[in-house]
Amino acid sequence: MSIVMLVSLAVMSLALCLTFIRLFRGPSLPDRVVAMELFSSILVGMMGVIAIATGVSFFLDVAIVVALMGFMATIGFSRFLERGGPRDD
Amino acid sequence: MIGAAWHLLLGIAWVVLTGDFSGGNLVAGLVFSYLVLALIQPQVPALAGYAQRLPRLVRFVGFFAKELVMANFKVSYDIVTPPWYMKPGVIAMPLKARTEFEIAFVANLISLTPGTLSLDVSDDRRVLYIHAMFLDDEAALRDNLAELERRALALFR
Amino acid sequence: MIDALVAVLVLVGSSFMCLAALGILRLPDLLTRMHATTKAATLGVSLIMLGVCLHFAVEAVVARGLAIILFIMMTAPVAAHVIGRAGYFVGTRLWSGTVRDELKPHYDPLNHHLLSGLEEDDGRPDTAASGTRATDDLPGHDAPDPDADRQKG
Repeated sequence: MSIVMLVSLAVMSLALCLTFIRLFRGPSLPDRVVAMELFSSILVGMMGVIAIATGVSFFLDVAIVVALMGFMATIGFSRFLERGGPRDD
Repeated sequence: MIGAAWHLLLGIAWVVLTGDFSGGNLVAGLVFSYLVLALIQPQVPALAGYAQRLPRLVRFVGFFAKELVMANFKVSYDIVTPPWYMKPGVIAMPLKARTEFEIAFVANLISLTPGTLSLDVSDDRRVLYIHAMFLDDEAALRDNLAELERRALALFR
Repeated sequence: MIDALVAVLVLVGSSFMCLAALGILRLPDLLTRMHATTKAATLGVSLIMLGVCLHFAVEAVVARGLAIILFIMMTAPVAAHVIGRAGYFVGTRLWSGTVRDELKPHYDPLNHHLLSGLEEDDGRPDTAASGTRATDDLPGHDAPDPDADRQKG
């Protein structure tokens, strides 16, 4: 069981690295916001796996908070973008 | 909506009256109140057609899960293999949904079905603009979307 | 038995996550990238949370897990819609392989009005009349019109 958890954590860490490359390279701000949202989703998944691996169910509360923060940040960024009008970065 | 409120109220009444505050007991209460609502439905005009919605909901969830998994594999295949097989594009889809809640529900469902992403609703709320990933067979895609919308709206009407 | 099921769910969920990350790295433009992130990540989180529910099998944990699934399923499309709309309207370029774009002729970047292309059916001549040809061959195109007229009259 613990091997399965290790493998899935490794796969998700790889996913975090790939997302970070897009966050770093992303040609425009919306690309970076999308990468950040995926970041928070992957974190929620990792919290779930860690909860299984350690047997502590309180990690799910952390997962709820991370999901909420990711959603709020996305909404905030897109409001900010729409105020700005056309841009080229 | 009235039917759902009565359903929940009867279920909670069952939980309170039996004095057993557990999830399993709430489910039992909901099952019994569903039976009660199905029995008294012919006498109460406000509840008309409520009992027929539950089987429809179950079938809809099954249909949606099938669509979700099937189309996810299609998108994943295109992501993993090096050449692009996709033909993305933005299409306009006329909406049959009228109220704000229905439009939001249909748009969310369309966003969750892989291969389509709802972009925006026109100002007069009659057309939904959708970004689709596979536009090779546009008629089939439109048929699929119309089918999804028809099934989703049948849950409320 | 339960352990094997949990292992399968967690592994499939994390590989969907990795697929989403691969998609966001490889796909060519913003909108197609969002296709990869919203669906694959949502499915991945849902599968992992189902695994958590099965593993603990306590009411409080199952309720939390289902709440997370419901929350993700409700917010992911909303976030995708909001950021896609913002990205489209601030002028993100579409991929060169995009075959058609029916939104562009109907959008006015100066006053942010988005027309539906069906305005002329109401008898009002409108500036969007040139863009209506795209929607004329749709199934169900004539269905909304009687309703609209009845509501007006």
